[in-house]
Amino acid sequence: MIRGRTAAFTIHVVLPSAETIMLTRLTRAVLLGPALALVPLGAGAHEIVGNRFFPATLVADDPGVNDELSFPTASLFKNSDVPSVNELDIAVEFSKRITDDFALIVQPTWTHLYVPGGPLGNGASGFQNLETTAKYRLYKNPEHEFVVSVGLVAEWANTGAKSLSVDTFTTYTPTLYFGKGLGDLPDTVWWARPFAVTGVFGYPIPSRSGTIITSVDPDSGGVTVDNSPNPRFFNWGGSLQYSMPYLKTAVNDLGLPDFFNHLIPLVEASLQTPVSNFAGLDLKTTGTINPGVLWVGDYFQVGVEAIIPVNRQSGTSVGMIAQLHLYLDDLFPTTIGKPIFGGPVTPAKPF
Amino acid sequence: MRNKSIAFAFLALAASVMPAAAHAFLDHSDPRVGNTVKSSPSAVTLWFTQKLEPAFSSAQVTNASGAVVSTGASVSGTVVRVGVRSLPPGTYRVHWKVLSVDTHTTEGNFTFRVDQ
Repeated sequence: MIRGRTAAFTIHVVLPSAETIMLTRLTRAVLLGPALALVPLGAGAHEIVGNRFFPATLVADDPGVNDELSFPTASLFKNSDVPSVNELDIAVEFSKRITDDFALIVQPTWTHLYVPGGPLGNGASGFQNLETTAKYRLYKNPEHEFVVSVGLVAEWANTGAKSLSVDTFTTYTPTLYFGKGLGDLPDTVWWARPFAVTGVFGYPIPSRSGTIITSVDPDSGGVTVDNSPNPRFFNWGGSLQYSMPYLKTAVNDLGLPDFFNHLIPLVEASLQTPVSNFAGLDLKTTGTINPGVLWVGDYFQVGVEAIIPVNRQSGTSVGMIAQLHLYLDDLFPTTIGKPIFGGPVTPAKPF
Repeated sequence: MRNKSIAFAFLALAASVMPAAAHAFLDHSDPRVGNTVKSSPSAVTLWFTQKLEPAFSSAQVTNASGAVVSTGASVSGTVVRVGVRSLPPGTYRVHWKVLSVDTHTTEGNFTFRVDQ
């Protein structure tokens, strides 16, 4: 799930007075730096389109609409604050189909910010603002392994911990998702047919155009009030995948050991480009590139990826993200794994 | 302590309702996907990852021009067997569509070659 960078520049109130100096400096760092939760957590749902199985991806949401549970998604990286601090994020994402094509998704994320090498227990912890998504599968073409979905992502104001300086306004992000498998390539390039791409494009719309920032100088105790605009960003990203299951079952069974036939190496990207309302701010495109691998089974998948910031404004070192993802539609097909309305589509007699 | 109890309760609940079915995906086939056989097989056999509903599961084989060259399919457990006529050298495509016992439908296709 790509998140807007708006959160980074619209931190509202900081109350360092009751904290230690270490925490005060950490909080000040959060104020100065724009990278809180820059690395998004969570995942989309897996999707089956003809021959193609689109797995749930870790960083850039995919077009799937399904009953799923990511439990958990954990990432650790050094964010772009000045100076940089370690950020540990642990997220849970629950996706529930209302109908076969429409799902509601809720994703709480717990974050711990701490100074590398600092004393044990230093830093700030708490939940980020709650994020929810309403997602609808718009079009599905099994023959060409193509699927398109639309969604509305909402990050709800003041539902997270004040110690993380969460947004005090709600952000709505209309989002477009697509997935395309390359299985319709000619047999002369059979080796490329296991490739697939997914994409996600979103435009976060904050409920307020600006935010009043109040900060306290830890040394002098002076209070500073500033009215800061909420910049507008364009979120974009996706994944390039090579499906070993697809290679074995639809292209060429090479007789590889079974473990390898469950792997999907992939590279994800999650980027945010400023587009408006950032006058006076030195903003650049930020984000991460995430190479990694998934192992997909019948009931769950596990994945691990590196977090590589694209520039200093995106982070200061390579981090790591990992996820256990459960297919509720396969684990509990007759209870919580089926749509609330409509149920399974009545199968047509083949051929 | 309370958190541990909740966790155990959740795991016990999950274990108690764990079903024995999921989407049925093709596991392997004979002839093998994308491979070449020296002479015409008498049948194409598909093994799936889950038990199938015979009434809603089947497969057929077509030649390069799209003509059906299979003579019928039978389904038993996780296996679909498709009889084929004597196949001259060429490329053949196997189309399958199955329903697993948990009501999930999946479909797919692949090719194999009969050698010259």
